[in-house]
Amino acid sequence: MSRDLVLTGLGLVLPCGDGIDAARASLRSGAPCFAELPESLGRGRGAACADFAPAGIIPPMQLRRLDRCSRFAWGAAHQAFADAGLDPRPLGERIAVAVGTLTGGSEATEGFLRPYLQRGPEGASPMLFPNSVANAASGHLAQAFGLKGPSATFLEWECATFAALEQAARWLRTGMAEAALVLGTDGLFPLLLEIARGARLLARHGDPVAGSGRGFLPGEGAQAFLLETRDHAEARGARIRATLGDLAGVPALANDPAARAGALGEAAAAALGGAVPDRWIGGSSGSPRLDPSESALRRAHPDWPEPVHPKLLWGEFAGAGGPLLAAALLEPAARVLVTSPGSFGPQYAARFEGVRL
Amino acid sequence: MSPAPAGRIRVAVTGLGIVSSLAADREATWSAMLAGRDGLGPLTGLDLPLEPAQIAGEVPLAAARHQTRCEAMALRALEEALDGLAPAGDPRRIGVFQGAGTSGLPAAEAYLAALLAGRSHPATEAASQSPCRVTDALARRLGARGPRATVMNACSSSLLALGQAWERIAAGELDLAVAGGAETLCIATYAGFSSLKAVDAARCRPFSRDRGGLNLGEGAVQILLEPLDRARARGAVILAEVLGYGASMDAHHPTAPHPEGEGAARALAMALRTAGLDAAEVDLVSAHATATPANDGAECKAIRRALGSAADRVSVTSSKSQFGHTLGAAGAFGAATAVLALRDQVVSPTLRLAEPDPECDLDCTPLAARERTLRAALVNAFAFGGNNVSLALHRWDGR
Repeated sequence: MSRDLVLTGLGLVLPCGDGIDAARASLRSGAPCFAELPESLGRGRGAACADFAPAGIIPPMQLRRLDRCSRFAWGAAHQAFADAGLDPRPLGERIAVAVGTLTGGSEATEGFLRPYLQRGPEGASPMLFPNSVANAASGHLAQAFGLKGPSATFLEWECATFAALEQAARWLRTGMAEAALVLGTDGLFPLLLEIARGARLLARHGDPVAGSGRGFLPGEGAQAFLLETRDHAEARGARIRATLGDLAGVPALANDPAARAGALGEAAAAALGGAVPDRWIGGSSGSPRLDPSESALRRAHPDWPEPVHPKLLWGEFAGAGGPLLAAALLEPAARVLVTSPGSFGPQYAARFEGVRL
Repeated sequence: MSPAPAGRIRVAVTGLGIVSSLAADREATWSAMLAGRDGLGPLTGLDLPLEPAQIAGEVPLAAARHQTRCEAMALRALEEALDGLAPAGDPRRIGVFQGAGTSGLPAAEAYLAALLAGRSHPATEAASQSPCRVTDALARRLGARGPRATVMNACSSSLLALGQAWERIAAGELDLAVAGGAETLCIATYAGFSSLKAVDAARCRPFSRDRGGLNLGEGAVQILLEPLDRARARGAVILAEVLGYGASMDAHHPTAPHPEGEGAARALAMALRTAGLDAAEVDLVSAHATATPANDGAECKAIRRALGSAADRVSVTSSKSQFGHTLGAAGAFGAATAVLALRDQVVSPTLRLAEPDPECDLDCTPLAARERTLRAALVNAFAFGGNNVSLALHRWDGR
């Protein structure tokens, strides 16, 4: 019996548009998706999923009850199951859901609190409060697709979707599930922009530049990955997009650039196991907390290819590492390294093998 | 109990720290629980005079500067769990797993309130207030460089974190793990549950015919897990053994449990399977039991579905009658209750259970603690989104 885990489905809701083709075209063009945000999402520039089209996917009654994270997650999951050729309902009890997010629940929390703080209990909306938990998206997906296996939602700064992928892999390897839907999802909301600007995290002049230290711009979206054991995928004749290699999260012991860079280097080494990648997806975003770690890695490995930086096109957050994992699957490659530096906590790296279109 | 599957490491609970509304340490909390004391009292930590309910389980603990109350409570609970142990060995084999609570949400609330009032307020505090900060603070204290996870599964968060810690040690990946959760009262959760009409203006009454909802509480529980052989080799006091966990989703409703407890029963059954336990070996269920009309009846049905006729012999208890609902930390509070019950062979009472609901037709340990033989226990935590977790524990009998 093979313990290999394979990716058989991919679904993407991104600022560049919905679906794999839009994402691939965006990465190839290298054109950033930043624009002035509508007031409803916040003050300033960012990468919004302005073209997200849930009609025909999310029933209108449900759509009204969902926060942006859950809407994007639903759209991406719908695509991933279709891409994998899997009807989830008959297998529901054996499908796990693992979600990574940085902002999940926060949009609804702000939406709930604003009128409450102004008007007291009469301003409180019982419709909004259930979405104020970070795991709201997983609950909505469970209902939408009949998913009844284990579920976990992770917060891990900019790297939460790596933590979700790790847990999903564990559930598959221990037999607690046959397939797992892994998601990264984030939505923009006004308070996020206010806090990020107030804390001087955002790029103030033009688009973000990797290594500049001038700050990032925020983004939103969802990425859905259907992960299966190779045996399960082959038994149902699924097309395999890639094999999940090693994944490593290494915490920095001290809160300083050298410690973070060291931890990211260790994570990359553990993920690669001595091999050299032929494609590298990096998590630099213009942030002075993230970019130096990858710069150090580049200097240490001049033989590696130049990294591709999806956050410079689609924004920071945008699925808490999910866009990096997605970008790894958009071009054929024998071995892809994905590195995800984080502001605090573990620094992550993952390796995919045999990426096919 | 079946022998552990080949290759699986047995996992011991060797430390437990509790900061609760009953007391600031484990033994005082446990004594108070057994004595039937109530940790619920007047709401003083939040100024919400228009809320109909003014009751909560509050912890009188102040945080240091640049520290959240969750961090302060979690670190205090960790010190008690360590009981002087200085973690040694490879720091990459020490893990930290936390169920996230509100954590830094009060900082975001303060920022938003200032914004709405047109006052300036520093954003840096709110920007750095992720629930991951508690996990990171615990890891720093331990010098841990192993895996860490911050789970945000609402009210089942910390029980799932315990499950994660167990699976890492059982797989031989870690020598030591700290798992648990910390929760503090805040406006969003208090007002949110109130808006759902889920908060009782009186003290909550789990399993009662007239139960009218939950009370909110705060506190922290941290649990130390180690490979059993390693714990024995260092002469550690072993409080209980963790056997496994189960998890499931209801796929039913965003906030309400499945009325027949279908999803919850699957989590319990998975926990039994993973643990290699027969239903007849389970003597205790530390229940989720929030005292909401929807939860307690569905949970009792779930216990019956999972345990079958063995449910008639099981003792069920609700620690929420003492602490209130500690949300992200609730699963860890339930686990702590079960660990101490297994250690001392006594079940803590469900307070104010004078008139049981016929729908809750199990022995829910009304009013007074009860001594009895306890072999295995299940701990339940259920959450918004239909996220269910059940953890299996066993008494440590020296074998």
